[in-house]
Amino acid sequence: MAEHILELRNVTKTFGDFVAVDSVDFALQAGEIHAILGENGAGKSTLMNLIYGLYQPSAGRIYVTDREGWRRRLRAKSPRDAIAIGIGMVHQHFMLVENLTVAENIALSLGQSRPVTASDASENGTYKKWLRKFRFKREDAIRITEELSEQFGLAVDPSALVRTLSVGLKQRVEILKALAVDARILILDEPTAVLSPQEVEGFFTILRKLQADSRAIIFISHKMKEVLSISDRITVLRRGKKVYLGPTGELTARELAREMIGEDIEEVERSSDGNSEHKSSDSVLYLSNLTVLGSRNEVAVSDVSLETYRGEIVGIAGVDGNGQRELAEAIMGLRHRESGTISILGTDPKGTKAVRQRGVGYISEDRQTTGVIASFSVTENLLLNVTHLENTARWNVLNQKRKRNTAEQLIADYDIRPPIGGIPAAALSGGNQQKIVLAREISLHPDLLIAVNPTRGLDVNAARYVHENLLVQRAGKKSVLLISTELDEVLLLSDRLFVMSRGKLIEATAQRNDIETLGLLMTGEGL
Amino acid sequence: MIPKIVNLYKRIDIHWVVTPVLILASAFVTNAIIMLLCHYNPLEAYEAAVSGAFGNSRKFGETLVKSTPFLMAGLSVAMAFRCGIWNIGAEGQFLIGALVATWFGTKLAPFFPETPWIAVPVCLGIATLAGGIWGLIPAVLKVARGVNEVISTIMLNYVAIHLVGMMIDGGPLQEASQRGPQSDRIAEWVFLPRLFPPHRIHLGIVIAVLLAIILTFILFRTAFGYQLRAVGEGPAAAEAAGISIMHNTLRVFFISGALAGLGGAIELTALTRRLYLNFSPGYGYTAIAVALLAKLNPLVTVAAALLFGALTTGSYSMQRTVGISDKVTFVMQATILLFVIGYGSIQFFRKRASSHSPTE
Repeated sequence: MAEHILELRNVTKTFGDFVAVDSVDFALQAGEIHAILGENGAGKSTLMNLIYGLYQPSAGRIYVTDREGWRRRLRAKSPRDAIAIGIGMVHQHFMLVENLTVAENIALSLGQSRPVTASDASENGTYKKWLRKFRFKREDAIRITEELSEQFGLAVDPSALVRTLSVGLKQRVEILKALAVDARILILDEPTAVLSPQEVEGFFTILRKLQADSRAIIFISHKMKEVLSISDRITVLRRGKKVYLGPTGELTARELAREMIGEDIEEVERSSDGNSEHKSSDSVLYLSNLTVLGSRNEVAVSDVSLETYRGEIVGIAGVDGNGQRELAEAIMGLRHRESGTISILGTDPKGTKAVRQRGVGYISEDRQTTGVIASFSVTENLLLNVTHLENTARWNVLNQKRKRNTAEQLIADYDIRPPIGGIPAAALSGGNQQKIVLAREISLHPDLLIAVNPTRGLDVNAARYVHENLLVQRAGKKSVLLISTELDEVLLLSDRLFVMSRGKLIEATAQRNDIETLGLLMTGEGL
Repeated sequence: MIPKIVNLYKRIDIHWVVTPVLILASAFVTNAIIMLLCHYNPLEAYEAAVSGAFGNSRKFGETLVKSTPFLMAGLSVAMAFRCGIWNIGAEGQFLIGALVATWFGTKLAPFFPETPWIAVPVCLGIATLAGGIWGLIPAVLKVARGVNEVISTIMLNYVAIHLVGMMIDGGPLQEASQRGPQSDRIAEWVFLPRLFPPHRIHLGIVIAVLLAIILTFILFRTAFGYQLRAVGEGPAAAEAAGISIMHNTLRVFFISGALAGLGGAIELTALTRRLYLNFSPGYGYTAIAVALLAKLNPLVTVAAALLFGALTTGSYSMQRTVGISDKVTFVMQATILLFVIGYGSIQFFRKRASSHSPTE
């Protein structure tokens, strides 16, 4: 057990000025399940991508013990190199060809790095070798798939089309793909996020079988309970740094949550200027028993009721993927609501345009696809809101001067860099793209602002500027709904605090000083 | 950092000029090789083509005449593609426009006063409307049932082609003498005026160029055009901004169909003046190449259409003087299309590679 199959020494990864992984040491033993815990943006995914060869470390070294037992320095330029040395990864979003069968998908991964067999070596004609590369034998693929699924108890029909499989079965195929190339180190990125509780049980059985076969598993998860029940050791990352390493069971769930979130969060002084009493006439957003389905028809938002008032910031904390996105989209009229009512300033606007015209600003979670249009210029992106558009147009003709002046003003106010309105948004960094969204949505001073992770990807100063703007909204007697995965941001700004977990909304204003309890609520433990 | 990004911007701008030139150069070189393989002198052939297309004012006028259907159908395709709608149905919409114009010109015209000032606008108007309505069929299918417009528009092309056949080959619009599969000539007061008779240059050319200017203004200077482009470039972002994808899909399909329909009516009332089988030698399909070569910019489409018009007239001249088959034109058009797609996907992948940056 003491043998280290993978070792990271002082590994650092920076993106520009941003340090995603900060001199992390990490060692993986053969036959262990090693859990990695951390908040969003703590560096878990970056660390795994470093091991898998998607990124190269800015500093530090990675050592791997290869199949022959030699310890080698890993210099993976791409996943291909990592796979060749025996590292497999199951991504959170599956990398499967939906229109091929299970066996064909596995054959594809074999084609990528087919181990050289004795029969290959005995081939004398090079052209035959060349032909072999292009030959696909369905029977072989099916046989390999069957052998593997039998060996590890991963039952799946080799000739089934992948798109017909359930999520749990697709995950099996991903694992089979990794096993087909004899991966001895398996990285599982939030593998249980997509599984139902029943499927999780079966999945854990598979993990134990793999462990018995002395394969090492890196298990990334937010879910405390699962980590505690399956792992041998736990590493906790916080803001790119390793803050804890120890055997499972050494720390309780509560203590681990504290490690994840950090003890260094200071209690923030918030000006509580008499917002505690709300008149019903001040109600801006009113949700009652709202249920919304997610993209896979699962219940993403479950029976949520909420009322927001003028002059307050309502914060919703929670780990990604617990229904926050669907909640925001339902309010914006972008997602169909299954049941319940939504009322904005006393009316129920139909469609996103009507919601916008009612005076709702929206900072979406996914700026790349719903926040900005990459091929549009900065100036054009600053118009991307029907209200702005209506303000700029007369008789449908856009007033070029007004358009340019507004853009120049916003670029200056929000310090969008480079300060050139004409360049496409794609040329800007993520943080500056986010500033475009903020400038566009906040500058209208909407009655209701829905901000989902508004400071993601921003540097400290820009983030503070956003926070100031949200507080200005509050001071201007507007209502702000702040949905964020960053707990300290929600704590800093919100007058009332909620935690969203598995589609349920739990009021936690009273627990705002108890970070451990909040952490447990966020991981779905405190119910 | 700033100078680097400004450079990038400049590079994008330069692509506007460089890419079409590269595409054309590649296509001409490729075709020269093909001609060499067939034992023709490509220089001689190209010289004949250029003089045939631009040699004197009469020849240039004929090139303009040949360019018009490419321009109208090209504008139709450009508008739809701008909105992310892959309308392959310009061919059918073009034919429907021509069919309705024929119906008006042969059956309804007697009820109208014998002056082109009334009959022509009405004729073009209802043909435009018919093209738009024909374009709305795939739009409604897409909006209501999610039917892929590529498939439905191609299918509707066949419907339109055979509808024309049905009407003029044994149908109610066949010529009174019943001799061949064609319609009667339309009434004289439905003729779209020619500008300098006996030249065939007609008013439709002016209409088409004006439309190209108007559409450019609409696309880049109006809120409507902005919304249309936003839906095409970033549907999710547009929707979040309150721009309805459904409304824009319906609108752009109507506009696209109307433009193609008007194109068919212009071709019919100005030139052929009667409808026959194979009235359109695939204008609607070639228009896709025209629009893509013009990078979906209506004004640039004028130049691209002119090129395709020149290819047509040039090929007649190559045929006459060098004896090269006019099929070479189609080879030429096809190679240009291939290079358009080729360069397009290079840029697409380059764009993807540059926008792919680590976020978290």
